[in-house]
Amino acid sequence: MSAVLLIAIPILAAFISIIVKKWSPYMLLFVSFGLVILLGYLPFEIITIGGFSAPYGISLVVDNYSYTALYVVNVLFFLVAIINVCNYKKLGTILLVSLAGLNGLMLTGDLFNLFVFLEISGISAYIITTTNKKPLATFNYLVAGTVGSILYLLGLIILYNMFGTLNMQDMAVRIAASGATDIEVALPFLLMFIGIGVEAKLLPFNSWVKGILGHSNKLTGPMIAGVYAAASLFVFGRLLTEVFVISDTFMLIISVILAFSILAGEAMAYSSTKVREILLFSSIAQAGIAVLIFVSGFTGYAVLFISLNGFSKVVLFLIINHATEVVGSDEVIDLKGLFVNNKLVGASFTATVLSLLGLPLFAGFFVKMGILSQLFSSGDYVFPAIILLSSVVEGVYFVKLLTKLWYKEDNLPQVKFELPLVYLVVVISLLLVVFGLYFEPLHEQALVLVNHVKGVIL
Amino acid sequence: MASLEFLVIIALLGGVLAYLVGKLSKVVGASLTVLVSGFIFVSVAYFGLNGSLDASITYLPFVSFEATDLYLGTSFGILVTFIFFMVSFFNPYFVDKFKYPSLYSMFYLFSLAGVLGVFFTDDFLVLFFFFELVVWTSLFLIPLGKSKKAASWYYGFSAFGSFSLLFAIFVMRNTAGSFNINDGLSMVGGSDQILVFILLMVAAFAKLGAFPLHIWLPKVLGNSPDPVTSVFSGGLEKLGAFVAVMGLVKLAPVGPVIEAIDMALGQYLIAILGALTIVFGTLMAIRQDDAKKLIAYSSMSNGGYILVALTLLNDTSVSGALYHVLIHALASTAAFLAIGAVNRQTGTTKMSELGGMIHKMPVTYIVYLIAIISMAGIPPMGGFVSKWLIFQSVINEGMILIAIATFFGSIGSFLYVFRPLAALFLGQELPEFRKVIKEAPFFMLLPMIILSGLNIFTGVHPSVILQYINNVLAELGVTELGITTWTLSGNNGDLYPALIAVVFGVGVVIAFIIFIVLKKSRKVDLMDTYTAGNFVYTEELLHYSVDFYAPIERLYEKHINIMKDFYKGIAKKVQEFGSFVKYFFFTNKPEITVLWVVIVLGILLLWGDLL
Repeated sequence: MSAVLLIAIPILAAFISIIVKKWSPYMLLFVSFGLVILLGYLPFEIITIGGFSAPYGISLVVDNYSYTALYVVNVLFFLVAIINVCNYKKLGTILLVSLAGLNGLMLTGDLFNLFVFLEISGISAYIITTTNKKPLATFNYLVAGTVGSILYLLGLIILYNMFGTLNMQDMAVRIAASGATDIEVALPFLLMFIGIGVEAKLLPFNSWVKGILGHSNKLTGPMIAGVYAAASLFVFGRLLTEVFVISDTFMLIISVILAFSILAGEAMAYSSTKVREILLFSSIAQAGIAVLIFVSGFTGYAVLFISLNGFSKVVLFLIINHATEVVGSDEVIDLKGLFVNNKLVGASFTATVLSLLGLPLFAGFFVKMGILSQLFSSGDYVFPAIILLSSVVEGVYFVKLLTKLWYKEDNLPQVKFELPLVYLVVVISLLLVVFGLYFEPLHEQALVLVNHVKGVIL
Repeated sequence: MASLEFLVIIALLGGVLAYLVGKLSKVVGASLTVLVSGFIFVSVAYFGLNGSLDASITYLPFVSFEATDLYLGTSFGILVTFIFFMVSFFNPYFVDKFKYPSLYSMFYLFSLAGVLGVFFTDDFLVLFFFFELVVWTSLFLIPLGKSKKAASWYYGFSAFGSFSLLFAIFVMRNTAGSFNINDGLSMVGGSDQILVFILLMVAAFAKLGAFPLHIWLPKVLGNSPDPVTSVFSGGLEKLGAFVAVMGLVKLAPVGPVIEAIDMALGQYLIAILGALTIVFGTLMAIRQDDAKKLIAYSSMSNGGYILVALTLLNDTSVSGALYHVLIHALASTAAFLAIGAVNRQTGTTKMSELGGMIHKMPVTYIVYLIAIISMAGIPPMGGFVSKWLIFQSVINEGMILIAIATFFGSIGSFLYVFRPLAALFLGQELPEFRKVIKEAPFFMLLPMIILSGLNIFTGVHPSVILQYINNVLAELGVTELGITTWTLSGNNGDLYPALIAVVFGVGVVIAFIIFIVLKKSRKVDLMDTYTAGNFVYTEELLHYSVDFYAPIERLYEKHINIMKDFYKGIAKKVQEFGSFVKYFFFTNKPEITVLWVVIVLGILLLWGDLL
C-alpha cells in the first residue's frame, strides 16, 4: 500500500461526501477506521510523487518517526470522530479534509508541501471550531493561524533563496555543505519556528488557545488539544531534528520562549478557576516541554511524550466538555462533586491526570523519568529544574481539582456519561496503567526513534 | 526465605483484592488490610532479623533490592510495617465513615508496598519510584478526613521534596554512572556534593515535616482520618528520617569544618534548623485546642530531635537518633490511636469539648498516659533513653544553643502533652457523654496495648534493640555504642534503665497505696465551678482547658503565621504571575499576538546587528 493513499482516500471521500451528503458521517467513520487498519500495511519508504527525484519532486517520507506519528494521529482522530459523529453530522466532509491535511503534515518531506498541508489542516480546523459558536474566537484563531503560516512561508522563501531547494533532507545537506554560518540561517529558522509555534501553542504566540479551547465542545476540545496539538508538535519535531541548524543565539531565544511557556503555562493554569482553562493552560506548558525535548535532541522520548499527552488530553477534554455541556458551566465550583456518581469516569480522569503528572504505576512516570534522565545526561541542570518546578505547581492544581471533583456532600451535578464515551476513556486510562507497569514496549520504541534521528533517510 | 518481591506483590495484589472485597462489604475489605499488613510485617520482621530476606527479582520490571548491608533498611522496614500492621486494626472500625471505603483499603496497602520498596532497594530510581508511589497513594487517604485542602498542601510539599530527591539522584548518577545508592552517595564530590546534600536535606525536611517545610504536617495530621494520621506520624514521616540518614550520615560531611565544635558547616546548619524545628513545634503545640493537632506539632518537634542527633555523627548521637525514630513512632502512634479511639466514641477531638473519659475508657487512658510519658522523655519509658543519648551528645559536642533548644523542647513537651491527658481523660465527665460512651472494642485496644507494652519495654530494657542498632551503626561506619545487658555507656557515665524502672515502679506502688488509703474525692459536674453570683452563658469557656497557657501564648501569638503566610504568599505570587501573563498575552485581540511575534523577531534582528 502506498502512503499516498493516506492523503488521497480522505480527500476523495470528502469529494464524494459533498455529492451524497447523507453518507458523510458514515464515510468519515469508515475512512478513518480504514486508515488505521491500512497503516498496518504501510512499508517504510520514500515516495517521490511523479517520479521526480529528491530536489525537484515532492517526496513523502515513511520512516519510524512519521509512522509513529501517523498511528497516533489517526487513532486519536478515529476515537474523537466516533464519539462525535452523531452530534456533528454536517462536519463529515470537513473532518475528512482535515484528516487528509493532518496525514499530509506527518508524511511530507518537502517544506513547501508542508505549508500547503498546514493551510489545509488549518482551514479545516477553523471550520471545525465554528461549532463552538464563538465566532470571534474562531476569527482570532484564523488571523493568528494565517499570520503563523505566512511567517513560515516567509522563512521558507528566504531559505529557498539561499539554498535553492525545498526538500527537507536536501536542505539539510545543502546547509551543511554550503558552510553558511549559524547566524545566517537563524532568521529564516526563527520565522519558521514562530510560524509553527502559533499552531503548537507556544507562548507568546498562542492567544487563540484561550478562545478556542476555553469554549470548546466535545468535538473541538479533544480535536484541537489532542489531535491537532499532537500533529503540530510532530511537525515541529521533524523540522527541529532534520532541518534546523540551531545556533547559540537561536538556542538562547528558543530556551527563553520555552522556559517562559512552561512556567507561565503552569502558573496560568494555577490561577484559573475554570476546568477547561486549567486544562488548556496546562497543555501549553506540556507543548513547551515537548518542543524542549526535541530541541535537546531526544526524539524518542519526545514522541512518547506527545503521544501520551495526546491520548491524555482527549480523555480529559472529553470528560470535562461533556460535563460542561450538561451543567452549562465549566467553573470548578459548579462541577464540584462530578465524580461522586460517576466513579468509573472519575477513576479514568484521575488515572489520566496521575499519568500526566508522571506518578509511578502510570505510563507518564516512565516517560518523565526518561526525559529527565536524558536531560541530566547531557549535563543540563537548568531545564530539569524548570520542568520539576513546573510539575510541583501542576501537581498542586490538579490535586486541588481532583479533590473538588471527588468530594461534595449534596446537590451534586446531574451528569450522565454515554456508554461509548465511558468505554473510550476507561480503555485509554487502563492502557496508561498497563504501560505504566509494563513499559518495555515504550522503551523499545524510544530506542528505535533515537536511532532514527538524522541518518535513516540519506 | 521470604522474597521481598513477593511481599511487594502481595501488598499490591492485596490492595486490589481489598478494593474488590470492599465493594461487597466495607468491613471485610478493611479487615483484609489487617491480614495483609500483618503477614508482611511478620515476614519482614522474622526473616529480616534472621538476615534471610531474599532480594532476588523475577517478575517486577526494573525493580532491584539490596542484597547485603541490610541493617538500616531492615530496621526501618520492620518499624514501619509494624506501624502499618498496628494501625490496620483500626481500619474496620473507621472504614464505614469514609466516603470511598474500598479505595481506602486499597491505597492503604499500596502505600505499604511503596514503603517496602523505599527501604529495601539499592537503586535510587527504584527508591524514587516507590517514594512517589507512597506520596500519591497516601495523598488520596487524606481528603477522606475533615479537610480537602490538606491534600493539596501535602502534595505541594511532598512533590517539592521528592523532586529535590530526584534532582539529587540524577546529579549523583552523573558522577557515579549508575543509580546504585551506595556508589552514588560515596562517589559524589566537590560542588556536586554540596548540591546533593542540600537537595537531600530538602527532601528529608519535606517528608519529616521539619522547619521550614513543616506547614503541611499539622494540617495533614490534624485533619486526616485517625488511622491515616497514625500511619503518617508513625510510619510515613520516617521516610524523611531515612533520607536524612542518607544525607547526613552516608554522605560525607559537607562544607568547611568549624574548629571550635569540630563539625562541618553543613551539618551545623542542619542542626540549627533541627533546633528551630524543636522550638517552633513546641511553641505551636502549646497553643492547640485540638488534641490531634497538638500531637501533630509534637511530631514535628520530635523530627527536630532526630535531625539534630543525626548531624553529630558519633556513637551516642546516631544511635540516639535511630532509637528516637523507633520511640517516636511507637509513642506517637499509640497517642494518635488513643485519641482516635476517643474520637470514634465521642465524635470530637477538641479538648474543650471533652473530659472525664477515664471513667469510661480506662484502657485508652493508660495507653495515652504511657505514650505521653515516653514522648516527654520521662523514665521508665523509651523516650527517656533516646533523649538521654541525644542530650548528652549535644552537650558533649559543646553546642550550647542547640542544647538549650532541645531542653526547651523537652520541658515544653511537659507543658503540652499533659494537657490532652487532663482535658480528655481526667476531670469531670461531660453530661452528654455520660451515658453513651463505652470503652473502645477489643480489637482497637489490642494494638494500643501492644504499643504501650513496647513503649515500656524500650525504656526498661533498651539494650536488646540498641544492640541491633549497633549493627546499623557499623554498617554506617559510626563507632558502636557501648552496651552490656543492663547498662548503656554514654559520655558522662553509665545508665541503668532497668534500675530506674524499678525505682519508678516502687514509687508508683507507694502512690497507689496512698490513693487507696486516702479519702475518696467528691464528684462534681464539669461546669460546677466558681460561678457564684454570675449567670453563665457560655459555660464551655469555663472549661479549665480553655486558654490554659494564655500567658505564654501571648508572648508569641502574633507571630505564629509567618511561615504559613510565606507559603501562601508564594502561592499568591504564582497566581499573580499567571494572571499577569493571561492579561498580557491572552486577549481577544489577535493584533496583540502579532505584536508579540514582531517583538520577538525584533529582538533577534537587533541582536544580530549588535553582535
